[in-house]
Amino acid sequence: MNVASRLPHSPAAARAERPVESAKPPFLGFGLGLRAQHYDEILGGNPPIDWFEVISENYMLPGGQPLRTLDRICERYPVVMHGVSLSIASTAPPNFEYLQGLKNLAKRVEPKWVSDHLCWTGVHGKNLHDLLPIPYTNEALDHVVRRVQLVQDFLGRAIVLENVSTYIQFNNSEMTEWEFLSELSRRSGCWLLFDVNNVYVSAFNHGYDPMTFLNGIPADRVVQFHMAGHSHMGTHIIDTHDHPVCEDVWDLYVAAIKRFGRVSTMIERDDNIPPLDELLLEVNRTREIAERVLPQAGKPAG
Amino acid sequence: MSDFARQQADFQRGILTGDDTVLAEIQDSPREKRETLYGVYRYAYGSRLVEAMRNDHELLHRYLGDEMFDEMGHAYVKARPSEHPNLRWFSQGLPEFLKTAAPYCNHPELSDLAALEKALNDAFDAAEGAVLELAAMAAFAPEAWPDLKFGPHPTAARLDLSTNAATIWLALKNDETPPDAAALEQPSRLLVWREGVTPMFRELLTEEAMMWDEAANGIPFGVLCEMLATYDDPDGAAARGAGYLHGWITSGILTAVSAE
Repeated sequence: MNVASRLPHSPAAARAERPVESAKPPFLGFGLGLRAQHYDEILGGNPPIDWFEVISENYMLPGGQPLRTLDRICERYPVVMHGVSLSIASTAPPNFEYLQGLKNLAKRVEPKWVSDHLCWTGVHGKNLHDLLPIPYTNEALDHVVRRVQLVQDFLGRAIVLENVSTYIQFNNSEMTEWEFLSELSRRSGCWLLFDVNNVYVSAFNHGYDPMTFLNGIPADRVVQFHMAGHSHMGTHIIDTHDHPVCEDVWDLYVAAIKRFGRVSTMIERDDNIPPLDELLLEVNRTREIAERVLPQAGKPAG
Repeated sequence: MSDFARQQADFQRGILTGDDTVLAEIQDSPREKRETLYGVYRYAYGSRLVEAMRNDHELLHRYLGDEMFDEMGHAYVKARPSEHPNLRWFSQGLPEFLKTAAPYCNHPELSDLAALEKALNDAFDAAEGAVLELAAMAAFAPEAWPDLKFGPHPTAARLDLSTNAATIWLALKNDETPPDAAALEQPSRLLVWREGVTPMFRELLTEEAMMWDEAANGIPFGVLCEMLATYDDPDGAAARGAGYLHGWITSGILTAVSAE
C-alpha cells in the first residue's frame, strides 16, 4: 500500500485519483469478435458487420499472417482491441514490457478503444491465463484505481474494463461487484464493458438477481456490451463462450438496452466456432432488438 | 505484504499446487460447495494450457494420441508454469522439456518433432523482412563477389534433428501412418522459413548447411567458397557455392547482400 492510499485526503491522493479526461467512445453499432477461422470469408466477402473486436494478444507478435490480416481488417472496419492479460487487479508489479507491446499494437491498429477485464491473471512472475476473481474490498479498490490510472497514463488513453464471470466469492468483500465497478469507473475515469452474459453467469453462481447488478451500474459509464454463450452445470454456470447466446441472456440484453441506451454491442465466441453465417444471425439479432427497443438505435454515428 | 497480495498468492498456490489454504476465505454458493466452485479455476488452468499446447503441436498430438499427449501436457504445465502474459509463448520450452524429462527423453523423436513444430510456428509469425532478389546480385562486379556478405531473412532458422522426426512429420501431415522412430547416423539438417504466409522447411546437404551457418554469421562469399573447397572437390567449390546461393535467393530466405 503506498502513501497516497494511507492518506486519502492528501494532495498525493488527489493527484493519484485524478480521472483521465477523455471523450466517451463512439457508438459503433453491432459487431463481432474477429477469429482466424473467418479471415477468408470476411476479406473475401463484405459481411454486414459494423465493427470487429480483436484479441490484443493474438496480434502482439513480431509479424506474419495475423498482423497482415489485421491490417486489412483495419482498412475496412472500425476495430476495438480487447486484451486478456492486462491483469489490472494483480498485486504484482506492472508489466511494462506487456504495456509497451499493447501500446505499440494500439499505434498500429488505431482502435476505437482498448479494453480488458477487471481481474488478475497471476502473481510472483507466473501467469495462469485465466480471468481470476478479486475480493470487493476498499483495499482492492484503492489498488485497482491506482493501477488503472498508471495504465491510462502509460497508454495515453482511458481504458475500458469488463466485468468477468466469477465462480467464487470471498468472505472479506465489503461491497458488491457493481458497487466496486461503479466506484472504479468514477474514481479512475475508465469506461465499462458490460458483459451481459457474465452478469447472468455471476448472478446465477452467487444467487442474486442480475437486474440488481444491472441497475447498480451507472448508465453513463457503459460503452460496450458483450453477448456470449455459456455451459450450465446445474449448480453453477461456466463461462465457456462455446454456445449460442441463450434466451435468458437475450432477455437481459433487452433490459440492458433500456438502462444504458445505444451501446456498441458484439457477439463473442471463443470456442466451438461456427461458420460466419451462423454468428451473423446473432449479430443481426442484437441489431433488431436494439432497433425495436430504441428506435434509431441501429445506426452507428458517422 | 498487503492482505490483498497475500490472498492472491494463496489463490494462485491453490491452483498451482493443490494447496487448500484459500478455501477458508471463499464462500459456499446457495447451490454448491466452495471446493467445487474453486475447482472450476483449478480445472480450467491445466486444461486451458494443454489445449494451447494441442494447438501449437497439432502433429505431436496426432502422433501421441489424446491420452498420452494430455498426460505429457499436464507434466509440462506442472514443470514449467507460464511466465509470459501471451499464451503464444507458453509451449516454447517443450522441445527442451521433452529432451530432458523422463520418460519422454527416452524417445528422442518427440523432442525433435516438437522442435520442428516450434520452428514452423516461430516462422509463421516471425518479423517481416525484405526479400533479396536475384536482380540485386547483378549489380555486383565479379571481383566484388568474394567480399559479399548475406543477411538471412528474419523468418529463417536452422534446426538439426538426430532422429527421423522430419519424415514422421511429413507422414502425419499427410494423414499417413508414420514410420517407426529411428536415430540417424548423421543429423538431419533442416532450414525453416516463411514463404508468403506459409511456414516451410527443407533438408539441406551437410555442405550446404555448413555454408548457411557460416554465411548467417557474416562470413563473406570468398571465404565460404574456400571452406567448400576443403569439404569436397576444390575445383567445383565456387560453382557449388553459387548454386546454393541461387537456391537461397529464389527461396526468399535472404534479406540483404552487401560488399564490405
